[in-house]
Order: sequence, then structure tokens, then C-alpha cells
Amino acid sequence: MSSTREVYVSRLQAEHLYKVFGRRPEAAVERLESGADRDELRADGTTAAVIDASFEVEAGQIFVVMGLSGSGKSTLLRMLNGLLEPTAGRVLFDGQDLTALAPRDLRTVRSRKISMVFQHFALFPHRSVLENAAYGLEVQGVPRAERLERAAEALELAGLKGWETSWPDELSGGMQQRVGLARALATDADLLLMDESFSALDPLIRRDMQDQLLDLQTRLKKTIVFITHDLNEAMRLGDRIAVMRDGRIVQNGTAEDILVRPANDYVASFIQDVDRSRVLTAGSIMTSGAGAGAGAATVPAATPVAELFTPLARSTDPLTVTDAQGEPAGVITRDLLLTALGEEAEVPAQRTPQTAEAGKPAAAKAAAAKSPEAGDEPAEAATPARADEAEVSARA
Amino acid sequence: MPRIHLGSWAENAVSWLQTHLSWLFDAINTVLTGMYDGVNAVLGGPEPLLMAGILAVVAWWLRGLLAAVLTFAGFALVDSFGLWEAAMATLSLVLVASLITLLVAVPLGIWAARSSKVSGALRPALDVMQTMPAFVYLIPGVMFFSIGPIPGLIATVVFSMPPGVRMTELGIRQVDGELVEAATAFGTTPRDTLTRVQLPLALPTIMAGVNQVIMLALSMVVIAGMAGAGGLGEAVYAAVTKVDIGGGVESGLAVVVLAIYLDRMTGALNQRVSPLGRRAAAKAASAARGLAVLRYRPGTAVAAVGVVVLALVAGGMNLARSGDGGHSVAAGADVGHGRGIKLGYFPWDEAVATTYLWQNILEDRGFKPDVKQLDPGPLYTALAQGQMDVQFDSWLPTTHKQYMDRYRDQLTDLGAWYGPTSLELSVPDYVKGVDSLEDLKGKSGQFGGKIVGIESSAGMMATLNDKVLKEYGLDGEYKVVSSSTSSMLADLDRAIKKQEPIVTTLWSPHWAYGKHKLKKLKDPKGAWGKGEEIHAVGKKDFGKDFPEVTAWLKDFKLSEQDLASLEVAIQDGGKGKEKDSARRWLDAHPGLADKLAPVGH
Repeated sequence: MSSTREVYVSRLQAEHLYKVFGRRPEAAVERLESGADRDELRADGTTAAVIDASFEVEAGQIFVVMGLSGSGKSTLLRMLNGLLEPTAGRVLFDGQDLTALAPRDLRTVRSRKISMVFQHFALFPHRSVLENAAYGLEVQGVPRAERLERAAEALELAGLKGWETSWPDELSGGMQQRVGLARALATDADLLLMDESFSALDPLIRRDMQDQLLDLQTRLKKTIVFITHDLNEAMRLGDRIAVMRDGRIVQNGTAEDILVRPANDYVASFIQDVDRSRVLTAGSIMTSGAGAGAGAATVPAATPVAELFTPLARSTDPLTVTDAQGEPAGVITRDLLLTALGEEAEVPAQRTPQTAEAGKPAAAKAAAAKSPEAGDEPAEAATPARADEAEVSARA
Repeated sequence: MPRIHLGSWAENAVSWLQTHLSWLFDAINTVLTGMYDGVNAVLGGPEPLLMAGILAVVAWWLRGLLAAVLTFAGFALVDSFGLWEAAMATLSLVLVASLITLLVAVPLGIWAARSSKVSGALRPALDVMQTMPAFVYLIPGVMFFSIGPIPGLIATVVFSMPPGVRMTELGIRQVDGELVEAATAFGTTPRDTLTRVQLPLALPTIMAGVNQVIMLALSMVVIAGMAGAGGLGEAVYAAVTKVDIGGGVESGLAVVVLAIYLDRMTGALNQRVSPLGRRAAAKAASAARGLAVLRYRPGTAVAAVGVVVLALVAGGMNLARSGDGGHSVAAGADVGHGRGIKLGYFPWDEAVATTYLWQNILEDRGFKPDVKQLDPGPLYTALAQGQMDVQFDSWLPTTHKQYMDRYRDQLTDLGAWYGPTSLELSVPDYVKGVDSLEDLKGKSGQFGGKIVGIESSAGMMATLNDKVLKEYGLDGEYKVVSSSTSSMLADLDRAIKKQEPIVTTLWSPHWAYGKHKLKKLKDPKGAWGKGEEIHAVGKKDFGKDFPEVTAWLKDFKLSEQDLASLEVAIQDGGKGKEKDSARRWLDAHPGLADKLAPVGH
């Protein structure tokens, strides 16, 4: 997933965003800046929802904000399009400071440049599917015939051709969210804000929607900020992931960064459920150096580790890893593969107390009960992933 | 606790408003009267059955064939009761009041939905409007807006406003926050968010509010009838005060017909105007079974054509009919030259009798008398304001003392036409051993400790409580139950049928003495005061505006016998035919009209 990208003009920057609810929010920001923590403020009746959040999103990137409920991720998202006004800090989009805009200009930006997809779809029940998809264009003032045509195209993109005259309440949850997606895509906005957009869907449908989003993204190259509480979803979708806790961004990096180098125990406690073999890639575990023999199998650097087992099982030779240009960049041996996955085995054993704290005592106990020997644990961790795999291949 | 003189402050405020803002009230009055008269002319203009047809077409459009048939039957029934004009006056009042209410309530509700401060400030005001007894503001309403439909209209607006505001606010507030957020996120302006998202989604709730407004307006109309708003309210009130059970049932049923029609139509209107309602209706229709004929509903265009055709027919018939002349006045007797004169009465039998008698006489003399029924309070107020010209049933010096004291300078006493009267407590003649007020002492157990009274606003009730009971030491022993004349008479009737002891307030002349065997309790201490006289009382400028009528009324006398036979004639003639009954009685007494209203030539 991590690949080099060109630098686009369009990008999103959040600079030291704060959002405090309650009385005298500015004073609360000053106290937070001088080191006060959230609990002290809460005692005074103010709630710091977002504290000093800064990040950048490159054009065409999917930036995932991950956190449990109450971590401030939805508040952060709503500051990006001005639904909530930041107490302090700036939001820059295409170099334009959205926080300094007059309400009228902000509305123009929202209608032309930023779209949003909601957790519970937020479809207008008194409009047909087509009218819903055309809503953003209607706000822009696009003539009726043109906007209905463009809305129909967006619905086709979202896989809803033929449902134009239906009503939202006649559709399943997944289809309703496709309408929500079509509504967001129809306006041709560059920035797509997605607020837990797939959280309300069944697991199978959710995976479907993720695939579709990734598929659309390869064609449309939108800049996307995606909010989720599901780390697997974050890992699957995110070019970069910001993990939030108690209003602060505690780590901001690629999926691999977070998996391999968790910034603190809190992040680490999250990642133990993640199927490492699907997140780690050949490029991240290879040893650089000369390639193996000419007869050895080659894999691209972006190949997930899970797909290395079969070629390595067929031959005792190491695999050659190629870079984006197809040139050999490194090799992977069986030992290396096992070691890379084995790293995880030590994680639960060491961090049992934190895991319990994070509210997953059952998983922690199961992990602790297992023999801490290397080789046993990956199999355990991979169990849910295998089900996923089976499902993916069945669909493929 | 010191006495807080809120009441006198309110009184001062009302009189201040009356003197300083009368131009405003006059302007409002003109506008509202215009609206009401316009609507009433449209609704009351056509032949009753044609209008019933128009209403049925509307019902067909909104609800289907069955509703149309029932509508036609219901309104035909109203017409057969002879209540058509009253029903249309009421319908006009309800429609105008509801329209005004909604024009105010919906924007207020929207404002309240958007601002918690406004909502918080409105809530107690709405509570006051909804719970304050309507009479409390009906009387100042009469002072500001004169007698007629307008005070009733205003009272109706005040009373029916709260659900309109509340349901609008609720409807908008309960629109899913995520939908509003979605609209905002796509750059919708607040106003468009309101019109494109919030109002369409709140419409079913708002329409429920509209329905409530209309139903409350209708329920208020009966009360408004007591302040001269006319219509079915007046018919109900008149029937009730005269213990006319048949008339009460008929006019009550007419109210019910109107209520059901308005309720069903506004309910169905929701399905026509709101997108959600249309969807629900379409779903229901596709699921429904049964005769297609019953389910068929004409489209809006077809229904409009139907209404227009019937309206044109009605207009044509009215044109053809307009050739008929009015009442013919004998040559030489035309004193009035078509001048209008407003006669007011409260539904006491002698008032009804004399008012309709004089209506006939004045008509013969070329006046255009307009007769209006009111409660005593509003009537005296209206006379003092010059909004009424004259009334015939002023019991002086005692019963109506409080009104005369208050308005003495603004009224003209036209002299007594009957007297002396007497007020008394009466018992049925089978109650032995009670012949005098003194005999009541110590016998409260026999009468359940109560004296059945009449309206608490009546002057004799004040005399009874403040003077008579004290004089005879009965004030601790008996409780005066104030109700209404009709309830008192009904109670008397009931007690006599069961031969139970009962004490009631009564007065002479009264037809009850002819109907039942009653004993007037003697008043050796003279606590009731001397017998009274019944005066005709005009507005301040009555003598200047109607010099001839003033002269006639000053000489007007009616014997007890004549009054009794007139009352009986009017009672026998039945409700709604008082004028004709009085006419027949007048015709049966040749020469009386010329004696009462001599034409000087």
C-alpha cells in the first residue's frame, strides 16, 4: 500500500486544532497549552473534545482517523468542513484557510469542494434515490436536467444503476450507504469526509464497501479523510492512520508504522487483534541485498506477507522482492518470514495488563493461556483473518 | 400577605389601551371583519345543498367517495335543522381564525425551534393562552373590538394558537439531526435547510398541529357565541339557556358534523401536501382491497373543475333570485328610512319576547333592526361603547345595579316598561312547613345544604349571597350553587318529578310559575329589596340618533298578561322562529303596533 506518490497541489492541513465545549473555551485552550489535562477541565464543566491535533493529508490519499468512541475523531472531522468551528487552530485546504472564511464563502467551499458521507447515511426520506444523489448539485444551482444526469452517473459509479426511482427506505443498509456515497461523489468535490461510514453495516457488506471504495479511489483519486473505530478497516483503507485517544492524536503513521512501531502501549494494545500477515508487506520484512538465484520466484514489494507462504513452501530458495520498477530490491527467506510474524508472539505476553485495560480481557486471557512459543501465536492471531481470506477468495 | 392589586392594574391597562390605541383596534377590526364577511359571503352565499355538494367534492378529492356521500348527508342534515346559516357563519369563523392562527403560529414555531431562548420565553405565554378561561379575555375583547364575530375570532385565535406553535416546534426539532447536518455539510443555507429538509419532514407533525388548531377553534366557537360571535355557538347557547333539549341536540349535532368534516379533511390534507404523506398514502392504496369505486379519488384538477362548476351554478342561481324585494313598508309609516338599529338581548324570556316584538315593529316603521344575543356583561359593555343601540331587559334598581353603576354615564335609561317584579327563593308546594325565608333556618339537611342558583354573573346572585342569606342567618348553613338558569330549571324539573325538596332562586315574571306549582318564600325583612322595574336602556346617544324610537320606548308598557302570552307564543313557535312567532302574536293583537309606535301624521 505504501507507494511513492507524486506531490499534488491539492491537500489538507490541520494545524493545532482544538475544540472545547462549555464555558470560556479560549481560557481552557490556554490551560491545555500550558499542560493541563482533560480531566482537570472536566471538573470545571468544560469538555476538551479535540486537543492540539495537527496533520497533513496529501492529495489522493486516504487518511484514516482511528479511535474509540469519545476520542474526538468525529469532532475533528466536523472541524475540517466547518460544521464545528475550531476553538483554536486552522484548517487549510488548497492553501485556503477554511476557519477564516465568512459563512457564505464557507458554504460555497462545502458545496463545491468538500463532500461528506455519514454513519447513518443521512439520506433525505422525502426524496427519491436520484434526488438524494442530486442534492449537492441542487445546492450548487446546477440546472435540473444536468444534475439528474450527473446524479445518475454517480449512482452508476456506486453500483446502483436501476434504483434511481426507488425511495431510500426501500433499500438495504449497504445500498443506502451507496446512495450516500453517490451523493458525495456527484458534486465532484476533491475532499471526501467519511464519518464511520461503514460502521453501521454488516461485516460482509462492510468489506464489500471497503473494496468498492478502494476501487473507486484508484480511478477518482479523491483526498479522503475516513473516520473509524475499527483498526482492521483503518489498516485496509488508510495510506496513513492517525490514532486518537482522549482528544489527542497519539500516533500518526502508515499501517506498518503503527503495527511495527506502536508509539505507546495504548496503540500496541489495539494492534494485537490485527492480522499482521495481511498488513506487513514483502518490502517491509525483506533483507536488502543481492537477489537470490535467477531461478527463484519474485514478488512485488507491496505483496502482503500472507501471500508469501505458498511460494516459500514450494521451494527452499529465498524469494526475490522487486521494487516498483521491477528491479530486485531484497530477499526473504523462510526464517525471515517466521521471525517477522513471530515478533508479534511476544507482544501479548508482555502487555497483558494493558490489554485488559483496553477492555479486551477475553482476548488477553486467551492469548496468555496459549504457550508463548513462537510459531504458535501467529496461527492464533490469523484465525479470524483466515475466515476473511476464505470469503475474499470465494468472491474472487 | 398584602393584597396585590393585579386586577385593577389590568383594568387600568385595558382602559388605557382603549383610549390610546383605539385606532389600532379599529384597523384590526376592519381588516378582520372584512375577512370574515368575505369568507362568510362565499360559504353562506350559495344554496345550502349546492354548498354541501361543493364540500362533498372536496371530501371526494381528499378521502374518497364514501366520505363525499357522508359529507353531503351530514350537511344536508344541518340544513334540515334550519341551522345552515349558523353553521356557515361558524365555519367561516373557524376558517378565518385558523388561518390567522397558522400565519402566526407556524413562524413562531419555527423561530422557537431554532432558538432555545425563544422557546423558553414562549412556553409560559402559550400556557397562559391555553388555560386562561376564555371569558377573561372575551370581555376586554368586546371593549376593544365591539360586539360581533371579532372578539370571538380573537379569543379563538388566542386559544388555538398554542398547539400550532408547539407542534411546529416539535416537528422541526424532531427532524433527524444528521439530516440537518448533511444539508449543512453540502453547503445548504439555513433558509434552504428549513424549506428543503426541515419543513418537508416536519410537515406531518405540523399538519397534526393544524388539525388541532382547527378543532380547538371549533370548540371555542360555542363560547364565542356568548360574546355575540353568532353561528352555532349562539344556537347552542340559546338552546341551553332555554332548556330547549331538542334544539340543543340539533345545534350540538351540527357542531359535530362540522368538527368531523374539518378533522377528516385536515387529516387527509396531510397526505396531499407532504411528500411523506403522499408516499404513505400510495403504500396504503396499493395494499388496500375493496371496491375500486370507493377508493377512487379524483385528481386535483378534476376536483377543482367540480368545485368551480358548482360554484358557477350557485352564482347563477343567486343572480336569478336577486330580483326579490325585501320587506315592504307601508307608505307613511317609513320613519326609519332604512336606518340600521342594533338590538341586543341576553337569553332571558322577557328579553327575547320584547326584542323580537320590537324587531317586528321597527321593521314596519322602516328601520333595519339587527338582533344579537349576548351575555349581560358583554351587552352592557357594548351599549356603553356605543356598539349596540338598545336592550329591553334592564332590571333596576337592583339586579343590574353593578352594570348601571359602572356605565351610568355612558347609557340612556329609556324608562320602565314593566313592573314591579320580584326576586325570591322558591320551593315546590309539596315542601311542607317552609313558607318564608325564616323557615329555611335549621332545615339545610332537608335541602342538602344548597340553594340552586343561576349564573354567578347575575345580579340576584350577588344580592342573595351578600344580603338575603346574611339577613336571615342562613349564610353558614346554605351554600349557593351557581350554575345557569337552564341548569337551575332542569334541576327544579328533576326534583319535582322525584318529589324531592329543593330551593331555587327564581323571579317573577317567570313561566316556571305557570308550569310548576311553586311557593314563593316570603321575605318579611325585605332583604331582596323592593320590587324592580324592567327598563329599556340605550346607548348614550340613543336619544339623538333615534329620537322617534326614544319617544316610543319612553311610552312603552306591557302588562303581565300580554308579556306572558307573548312568551308562550314565542316558546311554542320554536327555536329559530322567534321573529315569526312575535309577528304572529303582533298580528293577533291588532292596533297594538300603532299604539306602541304611533306614526305622527
